Amino acid sequence: MFAAVTSSTLLATMGSPIVVEAHVGQGIPAFTVVGLPDEGCRESRDRVRAAMLSSDLEWPTKRVTINLAGGGERRGGAGLDLAIAVGLLVATGVLSQQAVEGKAFVAELGLDGSLRPTAGMAPLVSAVGDHEVVVAATAVAEASLARAPRVRPVHTLKQLVEVLKAEEAWPHVDVPEPQVVMDEIADMADVRGQEMARLAMEVAAAGFHHVLLMGPPGAGKSMLARRLPGLLPRLTDEQAFRVAMTRSAAGMPMSAVIASSAPYRAPHHTVSMIGMVGGGSSHLRPGELTLASDGVLFLDEMGEFAPTVLDALRQPLEEGVVRLSRANGSVTMPAKCLLVAATNPCPCGVSSPMACTCTPIAKQRYLRRFSGPLLDRFDLRVELQRPSTSELTSTSKGESSAAIAERVQRVHELCLARQGCVNSSLSADALEEVAPLHDEALNVLRTHLDGGRLTGRGYHRIRRVARTLADLHHSDGPIGSEWVHLALAMRAKLHTGHGEMR
Amino acid sequence: MTARYPQWSYAAALASLPLLTHRRLRWLMQAGEPSDVWRQIHEGDRFLNGVDEAVWRAWASTSDSLLISVAERCIDREIDVLTMNNSSYPASLVGDPEAPAVVFVRGNTEAFRHRRVGIIGTRAATSRGKHFAHTIGAQLAASGVAVVSGLARGIDVESHAGALSVMGETAGPPIAVVASGLDVVYPREHARIWEDVAMRGVLLSESPPGVHPEPFRFPMRNRIIAALSEVLVVVESRSTGGSMSTVREAMKRDVAVMAVPGSPGLRQSEGSNDLLRDGCAPVTSVDDVLLALNLDHRHAHQWCDTREVLLTDEAALLHVMGRGPRSMEEIAMLTTKSVVTTAVLLGRLQAKGWVANTDGWWEALVA
Repeated sequence: MFAAVTSSTLLATMGSPIVVEAHVGQGIPAFTVVGLPDEGCRESRDRVRAAMLSSDLEWPTKRVTINLAGGGERRGGAGLDLAIAVGLLVATGVLSQQAVEGKAFVAELGLDGSLRPTAGMAPLVSAVGDHEVVVAATAVAEASLARAPRVRPVHTLKQLVEVLKAEEAWPHVDVPEPQVVMDEIADMADVRGQEMARLAMEVAAAGFHHVLLMGPPGAGKSMLARRLPGLLPRLTDEQAFRVAMTRSAAGMPMSAVIASSAPYRAPHHTVSMIGMVGGGSSHLRPGELTLASDGVLFLDEMGEFAPTVLDALRQPLEEGVVRLSRANGSVTMPAKCLLVAATNPCPCGVSSPMACTCTPIAKQRYLRRFSGPLLDRFDLRVELQRPSTSELTSTSKGESSAAIAERVQRVHELCLARQGCVNSSLSADALEEVAPLHDEALNVLRTHLDGGRLTGRGYHRIRRVARTLADLHHSDGPIGSEWVHLALAMRAKLHTGHGEMR
Repeated sequence: MTARYPQWSYAAALASLPLLTHRRLRWLMQAGEPSDVWRQIHEGDRFLNGVDEAVWRAWASTSDSLLISVAERCIDREIDVLTMNNSSYPASLVGDPEAPAVVFVRGNTEAFRHRRVGIIGTRAATSRGKHFAHTIGAQLAASGVAVVSGLARGIDVESHAGALSVMGETAGPPIAVVASGLDVVYPREHARIWEDVAMRGVLLSESPPGVHPEPFRFPMRNRIIAALSEVLVVVESRSTGGSMSTVREAMKRDVAVMAVPGSPGLRQSEGSNDLLRDGCAPVTSVDDVLLALNLDHRHAHQWCDTREVLLTDEAALLHVMGRGPRSMEEIAMLTTKSVVTTAVLLGRLQAKGWVANTDGWWEALVA
């Protein structure tokens, strides 16, 4: 009459175990799902009924109650289909409760009784990894990413019933061992010229400093951004696992491959607020920020993004997490990404000041699209020009990504050993300790502050970048003026009007 | 009949009438004492020929409240009202056929008695152009010459900033001619320099207080700049720029127009280079301007470059940069130094004020 079956449900990027209780009793024939089910879960009823009938199983003409036991959040997802069906079969006595002990069921049911994958297989399986997890045979590759020791792929409901009745053995389906691979990332060696921008990308990778690239179309902004993940250190196992879980939760097509290179996301500028930070009405879905976590988030044509979407980035960038609160619960998703944004220097986008037709006012208005606090997040603001003909046609290649990545890796290790965090996260107090300034360097910053070319906010950002530059060049001790000059050269001044400068 | 208010307030009120042109104002001011004219307008006495019915009606519809509000604003903001028969009225405007019959001024009208050089140019100036305007403004002020300009963005404001940078009793006072009312600062970011000019020189406008900088007021302002200047220097101007209207006004008045040569092909120098081609005298240093004023330029230089001296490598880089904006990669290629070294050198030069960077383009600030 009663049965309890384990399954799991998705909460943003994480799976959480859940017990599906089924009760079949006397009364008017009915089927109710209680326990805060979502819309998709209410549809389960029809799928489960059709699947059971297609599998020659009897549908109880009794009063059926399904309870999704657990905390207070709204739960659901089509992944509960199989657990509901198995719960019913136990409650009607077709299967014994012992047969389902220690097992978890995560699959959607087709009307023909076949088992199907559902979005977020990896985190769903991972949440019940200590059980024997029954999944659809077609979902085995994605399920394998969860590294659960006992994954049982099954083709149909009928087959599962026979196995659970101990009439048959588990069908033989290979559970692949997830391969750790590096993504194919284009090489920095392809970038011609752009010495400053190349250096800026190296600094960005080494100190995790956000970068704003400003330059005319064709200067190579996107090209540089696309190559940045190749400069970042390889993901640790833990990070790679997290990235795979997030991708699976977002419903991206997955194979039995765990990428160990930093993720790269370049959402189009029409991206909505929910698409960027995550959310959604049926279940909370991770946004681009979370998908780019531990990697690079590239915003091309930053001025075209909706201002509200851009401003929503500010708090997550500072804290490294997105906190989403909804009426029925709140979740925290990782958002520790390196932001790279690209923009034209002015509305006309012409490369040379001789040919630019924009008035100073039009330029200022263009820059005012970006809120000051957002512009402040960029430690590096680099101006690019189109490479010259001789640079474009030159056959000599630039330095390869691998060579740069080696230096970046060394700086990361150095920083972790020295201060336990990357340079961009150094607090003002910590700066005094790990990045003291040489007298001469201090004088340089003083003249810039006095001359109004540097703001108080910029002062600390310059010092962090200078620290990274010095680290990259094996320079210990107080930071010399050359690094400060270089950091200043990589922080372009932006005139946003009314004499204001960022 | 005695007037209830001082005569200057009637003059200010006449200058604030609707549908006014400088010609109509001059007719009104020539028709008699401002107080009598004001009374006649409101008594419906149409004493001038050639003025439309509608205009008379608009004038008659005003009342003493206009007079009182304008007068109060003038008193509040310390604005003086000068008419042509006032001894402080700029002498060079008296004989001008298009002179404003009433002007509003703030500051010391003694400035009008100095030798005067107009410095004008585009708002979208290059760093180099702005630097030149600044330098020549300072050098002229140091020679006791008053710099006349319009306090617009770019060249205008730089020339006055330069003039104001020179301290001392004998420094030439700045004369700013603006289009809006003297209490309406435009552009807003110039509020501080606006005050400085009023303090050390004089601000002049033919618009009564409270008037906004409507576009048609700028060409009108330009004719006053031209009329006030003995020599007009065009630092940078596009061929269609507003500065060219000042040049035309100056030429009408036989004011000597001089132009600063710029790189060919640079949009900001098209207009000034055209002037040179048409026969204007070039300005390559302050001496050219002082000679045009018949001033002795040999003793005039009390101004000196206060920027920190250059080290050898910095001087070499500055030399290589030449004229015109260049990108950092270009400069590095010219110096055959690494980009990193170049960036450090440019940073040092920028801190010392020898180069400027706009949107990634570097310019040497040498006159």
